[in-house]
Amino acid sequence: MLSKARVLEIRKVSSNCYFLLLEEARIARESLPGQFLHIRIGESLTPFLRRPFSIAGTSPENGTLKILFQVMGEGTRILSMVQKEDRLDCLGPLGSGFSTQKAHNTSVLLAGGIGAAPLMFLSEALLREQKKVIFYYGASSLEQIIPVRSFFPSEAEVYLATEDGSAGYRGFVTEAFQEGLNNGLKPAEIFACGPKPMLQKLAEKNRDWKFPMQISLEERMACGIGACQGCAVTVQEKGETRCGLVCRDGPVFNWDEVVW
Amino acid sequence: MANLEVELGALKLKNPVLAASGTFGFGEEYSSLIDLEKLGAIMVKGLTLKPRQGNPAPRITETPAGMLNAIGLQNPGLDAFLSRELPRLIDSHAAVIVNIAGDTEEDYITLARELSGVPGIVALELNLSCPNVKQGGILFGTSKMIMGRLITKVRGICPIPLIVKLSPNVTDITELAHAAEESGADIISLINTLKGMVIDIKSKRPLLGNITGGLSGPAIRPVAVRMVYDVYRSVKIPLIGMGGIMNLDDALQFFMAGARAVAVGAGNFVDPCAMPRLIDDLRSYLEKEGLQSVDEIVGSAQI
Ligand SMILES: Cc1cc2nc3c(=O)[nH]c(=O)nc-3n(C[C@H](O)[C@H](O)[C@H](O)COP(=O)(O)OP(=O)(O)OC[C@H]3O[C@@H](n4cnc5c(N)ncnc54)[C@H](O)[C@@H]3O)c2cc1C
Ligand SMILES: Cc1cc2nc3c(=O)[nH]c(=O)nc-3n(C[C@H](O)[C@H](O)[C@H](O)COP(=O)(O)O)c2cc1C
Ligand code: FES
Repeated sequence: MLSKARVLEIRKVSSNCYFLLLEEARIARESLPGQFLHIRIGESLTPFLRRPFSIAGTSPENGTLKILFQVMGEGTRILSMVQKEDRLDCLGPLGSGFSTQKAHNTSVLLAGGIGAAPLMFLSEALLREQKKVIFYYGASSLEQIIPVRSFFPSEAEVYLATEDGSAGYRGFVTEAFQEGLNNGLKPAEIFACGPKPMLQKLAEKNRDWKFPMQISLEERMACGIGACQGCAVTVQEKGETRCGLVCRDGPVFNWDEVVW
Repeated sequence: MANLEVELGALKLKNPVLAASGTFGFGEEYSSLIDLEKLGAIMVKGLTLKPRQGNPAPRITETPAGMLNAIGLQNPGLDAFLSRELPRLIDSHAAVIVNIAGDTEEDYITLARELSGVPGIVALELNLSCPNVKQGGILFGTSKMIMGRLITKVRGICPIPLIVKLSPNVTDITELAHAAEESGADIISLINTLKGMVIDIKSKRPLLGNITGGLSGPAIRPVAVRMVYDVYRSVKIPLIGMGGIMNLDDALQFFMAGARAVAVGAGNFVDPCAMPRLIDDLRSYLEKEGLQSVDEIVGSAQI
């Protein structure tokens, strides 16, 4: 589960996002959409903890995998300075992935910001299953937008939304999606990843929509493997609430499982 | 080949490197990463009589060279431990030390009675020092009198080695160590986490759901080494030292300060292989230095 991945490429793809191409055959082979890697940032004691990142795609034939990350604080800032041929200490793949049910045909993927990363990987899997993929992607402004069209398989239909209207729909991605629904869009299934308020909004709306919907959550992590109980999220099952772990029970949950 | 076996009173361990309670779950989570049998012992997650849900999120945050946690002793409770977790641990041939916590004396006594005869459990560790739950031991760990009375009672019904884990959140840790020894503790483990706090300046609120948490990792190591050094000089019973151990050099400081065994906590999160590596490195160190056992360096920094 613990491997040193070789950096093949690192590239800036928006004002604060980076694309990382890694080579590690085992991870490339084993990873499922929705799973993540727990990456150690350098060898020094600060930053201390590993950082979790979704796997944004794999190529098992080439033994490579992709990560998309946004610079948020010290850890991601240091990660953005890795260079070709550096080795990254990766724990994973971890967590449970998205489950893609054969029955549903049109899948709508909803991403806010860097939440696009796990959905990129998912879209490849869905297209392989001959499903129609519609991708709604929201960012705060044009310069924050990662060039999703070059990252997403060309078969996917892509809709953009920016909060300031500098590209695509003006407003939140949830609003863009609502407009799509008003115009007759009929999703069979929804997959979403993004900031908590966006996911919470979706879960609220879905009480009326009632689409099958899976969401990918984030929580601060220490071990990443279910040992420390640090990444707790309250979940409910048949009316009873309990503590779920984002690293082990998630990061993907059913929309109605999560207690907000 | 150097012998890594150590004897902490009646507790014999194949080597002096242990997993610190709460950082290693019930072992299973790490079993695909390392060979659990190789470890000196596993101190499992703090166990309470009834299942506990733990504290609200966020429960952890990073700090310079360490982390704060406020898990709140989330655990499945005694029954689930005995029926589900312990059998798995025994299957993996790990030596199991159960860390127990309670709200009342009765809790500790019941836990000790139910656990101390169970095959596979080599010792009990009384957690008298969790800073993250209202009772959860800290009450027992900061007053000499209350602590002494509890240890005496548990000692009376516990036929296996009894470890008492001390809190660093006290004015004079040697007083409590002394009281623990007097009341019948066989071994002292130290230190638990140091109470701390981080404020999110954007929201102007404490970052942790529990407001405060316990600090661990290399950030606390000098404090831990000093406390081991002080306690070693004030009691005769053996010590298990912990606090920020990541590698051999760190562990050696604890041995030299007076610990006969060490535990790795937050270090496991950063490097899941830290313990097996430490065991190998310790063996090489002893051989290189021409030492027969770690006993030869225990307390060697005392002047
Ligand atoms: C399952 C999962 C998948 C993720 N996938 C991606 C991804 O594909 N691309 C991407 O850019 N980011 C992703 N994130 C978020 C990413 O882990 C954080 O942005 C990153 O840890 C921030 O580190 P930092 O040192 O730059 O920030 P700091 O704020 O300095 O970090 C301080 C501490 O808080 C933690 N932390 C801060 N923000 C988050 C967060 N949103 N989620 C979890 N921990 C956080 C850090 O890990 C660190 O321990 C994911 C998070 C999770 C839980
Ligand atoms: C996430 C976490 C959970 C912990 N839970 C417990 C616990 O249940 N019982 C206990 O006695 N100590 C607990 N501790 C304290 C550790 O066992 C150890 O005493 C402390 O972290 C210092 O060691 P370290 O710096 O190597 O982590 C916990 C520590 C961490 C980081
Ligand atoms: S991060 Fe440790 S349990 Fe999830």
